[in-house]
Amino acid sequence: MPKEKKRQRSPESSYRHHKHKKRRSSDERRQDDCRGRKHDNHKSNEPRVNISESKEYFEHPRADYSEKSGCKDGARISVEERNGSKVAAEADNSDKRMYNEEEEESEVDVNFDFTKYKQSLNRIFFRESDLLKRGSDNYNDFWTFLVKYQDFQRKRAGRKESTHTKLKLPESKFGLPRNYDTCYRLNTSVISKDVEIFLKKGRLIDAEVDKELTRARVRQFQNIFLHYIDFAHKQKFAKLKKIRQDQENLPIFQYKSIIVEKIKEHQVVVVAGDTGCGKSTQVPQYLLQAGFENIACTQPRRIACISLSKRVGYETLNEYGSEVAYQVRFERTRTKSTKILFLTEGLLLRQMTSDPLLTMYNVIVIDEVHERHIHTDFLLGVLKCLLHHRKDLKVVLMSATININLFSHYFDDAPVVKVPGRLYPIQLEYCPIKRGEQNSRSDRLDPSPYLQIMQKINHKYPPSERGDLLIFLSGMSEIMAVVEAARMLAQKTKQWIVMPLHGALSVEEQDKIFDIAPEGVRKCIVSTNIAETSVTIDGVRFIVDSGKVKEMSFDPKYKMQRLQEFWISRASGEQRKGRAGRTGPGVCYRLYDESDYEAFQEYTTPEIQRVPLDSLVLQMIAMGLPDARKFPFLEPPSLQSIENSITFLKDQGALTGQETLTPIGEMLSRLPVDVVIGKMLIMGSIFHMIDPVLSIAAAMSVQSPFTSRAHTDHDAVAARKPLESEHGDPFTLLNAFDEWIKVKADGHGTRKWCKRRGLEEQRFYEMVKLKKQFKELLQDHGLLDKIVEDQQYLTSEERRQKHGERKKLGELRKEKAKESRKRKFLKLEEDDYEVSDGEADDQESDVKDLEFRLSHNLNKLQETANKSRNFTLRDINLLKIILCSGLYPHVAIADDCNSYKRDSEQAFHTKSKPFLLLHPTGVFASHPELLQPTEDFNSMSGPSATSELKGRSSSKHELLAYVSLLETNKPYLMNTMRVPAMQTVTLFSNYLDTSGNCTRIVCDGWLEIQFVQEESAEHVISSVIQLRATWQNLIRLRLQDTFQTSEKEKKINPRALKLENVLAKKLTEFLSSDVQYTIRRILAAEIQHLYIGPDRKADNMDNKTDDEQEKEVHISKITVRGKPHPVKGGIQINEYLTHNCLLDDSTASVWGEYTVCMQRHWTCPRCKTSMIVSYAERLQHESDCQAQNITATKEEETVERQEELHTQLNQFRKSYHCDICDKTLTLTTTEILKHKKTHIT
Amino acid sequence: MSKEFICSSCNFKTQYHYFGKKPPFVKSLVMMEDAYIMKDPFSSEGGIIPLGSHCTICGKSVCLSLECSIFYTKRFCVHCVKENISEFPLEIQTEVMKKKNK
Repeated sequence: MPKEKKRQRSPESSYRHHKHKKRRSSDERRQDDCRGRKHDNHKSNEPRVNISESKEYFEHPRADYSEKSGCKDGARISVEERNGSKVAAEADNSDKRMYNEEEEESEVDVNFDFTKYKQSLNRIFFRESDLLKRGSDNYNDFWTFLVKYQDFQRKRAGRKESTHTKLKLPESKFGLPRNYDTCYRLNTSVISKDVEIFLKKGRLIDAEVDKELTRARVRQFQNIFLHYIDFAHKQKFAKLKKIRQDQENLPIFQYKSIIVEKIKEHQVVVVAGDTGCGKSTQVPQYLLQAGFENIACTQPRRIACISLSKRVGYETLNEYGSEVAYQVRFERTRTKSTKILFLTEGLLLRQMTSDPLLTMYNVIVIDEVHERHIHTDFLLGVLKCLLHHRKDLKVVLMSATININLFSHYFDDAPVVKVPGRLYPIQLEYCPIKRGEQNSRSDRLDPSPYLQIMQKINHKYPPSERGDLLIFLSGMSEIMAVVEAARMLAQKTKQWIVMPLHGALSVEEQDKIFDIAPEGVRKCIVSTNIAETSVTIDGVRFIVDSGKVKEMSFDPKYKMQRLQEFWISRASGEQRKGRAGRTGPGVCYRLYDESDYEAFQEYTTPEIQRVPLDSLVLQMIAMGLPDARKFPFLEPPSLQSIENSITFLKDQGALTGQETLTPIGEMLSRLPVDVVIGKMLIMGSIFHMIDPVLSIAAAMSVQSPFTSRAHTDHDAVAARKPLESEHGDPFTLLNAFDEWIKVKADGHGTRKWCKRRGLEEQRFYEMVKLKKQFKELLQDHGLLDKIVEDQQYLTSEERRQKHGERKKLGELRKEKAKESRKRKFLKLEEDDYEVSDGEADDQESDVKDLEFRLSHNLNKLQETANKSRNFTLRDINLLKIILCSGLYPHVAIADDCNSYKRDSEQAFHTKSKPFLLLHPTGVFASHPELLQPTEDFNSMSGPSATSELKGRSSSKHELLAYVSLLETNKPYLMNTMRVPAMQTVTLFSNYLDTSGNCTRIVCDGWLEIQFVQEESAEHVISSVIQLRATWQNLIRLRLQDTFQTSEKEKKINPRALKLENVLAKKLTEFLSSDVQYTIRRILAAEIQHLYIGPDRKADNMDNKTDDEQEKEVHISKITVRGKPHPVKGGIQINEYLTHNCLLDDSTASVWGEYTVCMQRHWTCPRCKTSMIVSYAERLQHESDCQAQNITATKEEETVERQEELHTQLNQFRKSYHCDICDKTLTLTTTEILKHKKTHIT
Repeated sequence: MSKEFICSSCNFKTQYHYFGKKPPFVKSLVMMEDAYIMKDPFSSEGGIIPLGSHCTICGKSVCLSLECSIFYTKRFCVHCVKENISEFPLEIQTEVMKKKNK
């Protein structure tokens, strides 16, 4: 125990000793850290007493333990005496009384080992009713204290032989004892019956006590005990005082009254201060002290909400209360008594949909406005509008000293309070890389300039001067290049520990950067711009700035994200530089020229101008801001970007033509996810495939669980093999998640399991939470039935186990609270670094594991997971269709020549972007053979035929559905899944254009499907019409249901259930149909000659005989909507289908013309009407008839009624499958028995 | 509800929950002086932090940090200790002198 304590202490202290004298104490620095830091390690937050500080306590002048009297004094002041106020007077008498008795024992006393008698002492001092309970933290601390105290006494006794002669002095005028004794310095006493009894009688009533424990020794022990109490009190008081002092030492403290004053006077105030001024932690407290309540403080990052809430709670002495709380996506600590709430910007915006005026808050503090996240900008715009409606609302904007006027002007010249940051001087050096030095050939970054600076630091600064190096690079591959080279150097010099820092690292790996390097060794952290604002590392003295950043930009034309390298902005450059001066003076090396710097753009482009605005626009409309084009943006995005999003939302069926929300749009706006994922969730719940859809949607919404190591580490790749799905990446994610649950349910540790496979376990926990959240949202909106958790009946054994787990969790949590703030020591290893203590990590994970086990019914989870693993191909196809309903039009078709190409060159084309590659992290990148159509051709399938894909007819053509496009050095398809081609496109295309006999269909103007047989084409078209109509009606019905307000009405419409059955059956049929067809991409050049066009259509009409024209009129009588398409020609049957608008191939044209006009007998499968119709008429009727299937036909009604009657007659009937006659019957239990009997006889 | 304790010497301010010798929140502790007591906010185990008391001589409220007061069977503010330094035992005299030199 003591050893461990020492370790805990030493990193801090040794660190401090190395610091330049000027540097501030680490505790002060910590104030700033919690801003955005993952683990603010303010040790002062520890609830426990820090024994390691006891030495100072002993050594304090007042504690002069050199006298032998130190022991005897313990005896002198008994409990009874101390309770009275006449202590002093009696003290001297008892002193005399005890003196002789103690004299001969005194030598032994110092060396008496109380720890040997713990058991007996426990009985006297530490019972349940006593101040310190056995086993508590304080109790353990006490014993540590005791050992140190006695050590100290012994040392003193040995060093200084007492030459003190007791003087009998006259009593002082305040009645103070003249003979000094440390006991007189204690202002606290302890009441304990057991101690009292023992001191009186020398034994306890109810327990045996070791003989060695004489009364005198127990008194001595009591004395030590009192000293401990006093010590603990003093230390806690010092902690209180330190909090105040630290607060007052912050630069912002000087501005406290100005800030409060301005806020009282104005509705909007801008507080601008640089890193370390304390604004994030202090301003909310100032507001609270000024009498404001209901204060909301937004942060761009979840993690910052949590750490700030903890820090501010601690500073306001509310660590264990909920006056200061946080609320983020998955967690909240908020209660009714909460006065300061830290929350994310997104969450505050979401709260506005239910509370548009945000009446629950009086003050809204927006922190980090200068970071200009999309939500920040949006929130500012919304607040600007809100301020007109709520004159009582106060808004405080907090920003770094970047572009302050922009914010001030935006809010009608709001007053600005500028607070200087606490930055130490930073020496700036421009070291541009000379053009020639750079090997321009390779893409790889040349690490030598970075190494040169590392060597420069080695030469210039003695290793005894601490301070780490932080290198800013643009991206992962650049980081790896420098890390590799730097590690070589580190191996030689033994002066560096090199570690990368980027978003794709596991949480664990990220945390390592906070650990401490051994003496004489510096950390070299090679980072992306994540260390610019999101992650703050203490102790950085040197900065190397590449001046580059990789930023995601969005290309609306292809809906493609692009990760491109840019020069940073000047503001960014300053921010990077500033990272060197947080804890002391620093040095910043810029690897570019000063003239370059001058040419940088002033500020970074705000996010709102770089990303798709789909969700934002949807949210705006949901919030009652109907026109995004007129929104008062701080700096508006391009109009084109807004228009693109509106179009996208319309295509997705979320917006109507008038740009109001459709039911789906309404639903989507309430789900805190991407439109694409929201749509999957809605479809999944409608098709009762919700569990796997929830898992996949959750997996797509969190960061990928695959760590950067996952794809390079061969062992991990091999271990992951069984998880890979031949259907695509979303299914691999599903498998990984299910398997993880299974491993957990089997009672195995999942941490190692994840590690071995290169997976980040944290993501799985997030997925579980997200899944739960999605599920609740869907339930709240009536899309999912609320299943009342069936009462769990546990056996006594299970209950005992649960109890044990709960207890262990409590213990582990305590442990964690103790340990978590502890920074670890890094070891200098051969070529890598290693953390010296891995235990804490295990603990962290264990806590999560137990929490998880206790809050989830693992058996149940496993059941659902098992279900998904037992998928039939049919299920998988349905699941694919559901996923596609969200993903479409994100599909790509393989290049014709793929079979001739290498694996890494497999190319795919989307409608707008040709030649995309498979991202190397995907399943198909390593198994491109999965994408070759399976051999089911009825034509000869010789080896030459296999490779000749072009124009092959098959029923198994597939497309790749993808989640996103990403361009890094090449354009890639991300998260791909193979889907049946014809089925997917015919179901989801916004436009289907057919030839006269429907054997040729052009989908969304870029994919052409050609059926081999006319009948099958007919069948397909008929199916598509029916499926799409049913689908639409089902959604309409279900969403109608969900918007019913009263609970009673929320029951699912029986018609919807009917439609569901029809749809599921029909869909399965459709998906497994083996219609032969060919599929190809229509090239841009062909588009011109694709459609008949309006003119040709007119020609057709003229050529018709009068007779025909008469019929035409006849058609229009039954089918009012059948109008010629204005651009394509042909007849527009419904919103997606246009018939006979394609220019047929010359060979087929005669036939085409003929079939169009040919009339045939046909009976409508729905209304059973028999008629003689042309192809177009037939399609028209089918489309209209099926569109009405929202209500049942008479015939269907009668069937339904009969069924209903049947079940009503005997509701005890259930379906029973008889194995002997192989029939499924609906029977009661007795009827089943009777039925069985018939087989026996 | 929350009352404020202010140290007359260092101006340290904070809320307190009880003033007296027997804080009701902790049964087994007794103060040797009438003290300002705060419930321990740093622990969930229940405990107290004594903040300060009144000087026996001048009656001013002082916090218990060593820069502000000394407890020697009674509470004395540093100022009063210095005024009456001869009344205190040698150990305390040297302690106060040392601090002065700092």
